[in-house]
Amino acid sequence: MRKTLLMTAAAVMFGMLAPHGARAQTIIEPGKPVDMVLLPKFLGIAVFDQAHKGAEEAAKELKNQGKLEYLGPTPENSVAGQIEIVTNATTQGVGAIMMSNNSGDQIEPAAKAAHAKGIKVVTWDSPIPSGQGEDVFVAQVDFTETGKVMADMALSIMGPSGGTFAVLSASPDASNQNAWIAAMQTALKEPKYAKLKLAGIVYGNDQSEASYNQALALVDKYKDLKLIMAPTTVGIVAAAKAMQDEKLCDKIKVSGLGLPSEMLSYTKNGCAPEFALWSFVDLGYLSYYTAYGLATGAIKAEAGQSFKAGRMGDYTITKDPTRKEGLRILMGPFSKYDSSNVEAAAK
Amino acid sequence: MTLPVGLRRWETLLLAMLAVIACLNAADSPFYLGVGNIVNLFQLEIEKIIVALIMTLIIINGEIDLSVASIMGLASCVAAYLFHVGWPMPLALLAALASGALAGAFNGFWVAYVGLPSLAVTLAGLIGYRGIARILVEDRAYGGFPDWFNALGQQPLIGPLTLSIVIFVVMFAAMAVILHGSALGRLVYVMGNNLAAARYSGVRVKRVKLLLFVASGTISALAGLLYAARLGSVRGDMAMGFELDIITIVLLGGVSIFGGSGNLVGVGLSILVILNLRNGMGLADITGNTQTSVIGALLILSVLAPNVAQMLHTKWKGRET
Repeated sequence: MRKTLLMTAAAVMFGMLAPHGARAQTIIEPGKPVDMVLLPKFLGIAVFDQAHKGAEEAAKELKNQGKLEYLGPTPENSVAGQIEIVTNATTQGVGAIMMSNNSGDQIEPAAKAAHAKGIKVVTWDSPIPSGQGEDVFVAQVDFTETGKVMADMALSIMGPSGGTFAVLSASPDASNQNAWIAAMQTALKEPKYAKLKLAGIVYGNDQSEASYNQALALVDKYKDLKLIMAPTTVGIVAAAKAMQDEKLCDKIKVSGLGLPSEMLSYTKNGCAPEFALWSFVDLGYLSYYTAYGLATGAIKAEAGQSFKAGRMGDYTITKDPTRKEGLRILMGPFSKYDSSNVEAAAK
Repeated sequence: MTLPVGLRRWETLLLAMLAVIACLNAADSPFYLGVGNIVNLFQLEIEKIIVALIMTLIIINGEIDLSVASIMGLASCVAAYLFHVGWPMPLALLAALASGALAGAFNGFWVAYVGLPSLAVTLAGLIGYRGIARILVEDRAYGGFPDWFNALGQQPLIGPLTLSIVIFVVMFAAMAVILHGSALGRLVYVMGNNLAAARYSGVRVKRVKLLLFVASGTISALAGLLYAARLGSVRGDMAMGFELDIITIVLLGGVSIFGGSGNLVGVGLSILVILNLRNGMGLADITGNTQTSVIGALLILSVLAPNVAQMLHTKWKGRET
């Protein structure tokens, strides 16, 4: 064991890597200067700011003298803005780009150009669907599990008699939300969910007002609606507020993926009795460790590479089972929130 | 060279702005003057500036076309849809261009032959054409185009220049000749200044207007296809909101929103000012709302300044006499 560690340390010192296939635990060496860009879907969303906090924490631990720029587009200009930021970062020759992709495959040419220039592209929160132009995707939770968690919450809220529910998602091309919804639809085929009827899916584009209006439109469209499931932190707050404002919370509940601090009052007043999420701080932290490790050459974007990500422990790069191509690091796990624990988590 | 003095002054101002921005950018970032960056600077906004050229003619003519971005979206969705139901790509592209021309003709018909205001007609177009685009592709993203098509949008064609940039340069020259050196160009100005007078002096105003809107639709469709090739995939919200950026470029170029005045030199300079400003801020890691507000502030200033100046000037004159 000691020998392996020594060898790994030696390999890292020479900028080389442990032999392919060896499951040696790589210790990422701190102190190398790497300029990095953290690119959220857009600015002004609490969870992305939390990811930034996590990345800053990792940057401090790794004593990176390089810059960490937190750059993002405005919501109205998300696709063109993300492409512009990736292109400019490529011109500047940064070491790594960490991106929550909101552009579907449209980011691919820009990401490929970055990659061709030797820039490491790590996606987090939302990957590039084709896997092209991307080194590795840091997945928050297993996408299949997300589907099950949502199906379970729906069942627990609507009860064994079931009923009609609808999904309020982010943008139609957000690959993470789409994968979660697909996973939920698969989960719903199990007999225990037989009485849950998914009536439709609408998109609020992760904008509060649009999501609020879409939630109200669902109420008008489906007279027997019992639940709105929103797998987005923007959508779930907007939907809960809409139901509260219209005094519909007795009839229609809201659930999905939410941030405890934003959901506190709605969980307390019963509009959103249950929801789930993972830690975005940890996601930013792990993404930073991954990107830094790749950019300094300590780890390679290959299945089987494992490394120690500071306080979060050991992680291994694997093939991404949710996409045709692409590599993944799975963070996990889920935290479920209800009136018993939401207050503590909101602090 | 018969431009009024006021206009010449406006272009001097734009040129000065451009020089300041370029100097600041060069001082701030060592990457600014790189060939790759200059190409990217154009490439990132190339579709908008292509459409801005025809928009210049439309606005000088006293009209407006709010549907350009929706036609960009429509054309790219038509091409993507037809390709995915099995049409050969070249045919799908031709059909997409035709859809743009048709949309433009539809706009032009109501404006020129029925006499409805272009603001209302093209606002309807903005909503309607986007609707058709969204019906075609639904909530999906269509990719997987032939490699040659993606290469057209992403690979250099001549030297470091991409096809889109070549098209822009050629089109700029062509539009300049048409607007400033042809009989048609003179009509565009005359109609923009005084439509009734133009009509009474025997100008075929209907035909000119229809032609302009068909050109606007076709060029927008072309820009939409170039955008699709650059991104390598298409979805229903392609180019959404671009019309405002496009109109803004034209107005900053000194073209009067009331028609009749302005020229392509101003619009060319305005394009360079906005693109260099955006690029410089991007390289200085200024993004998001900060970037939007800086550009917004510049526009408010530049659109207000000449009007206020003229108002003061008129008042002053009035006092003298």
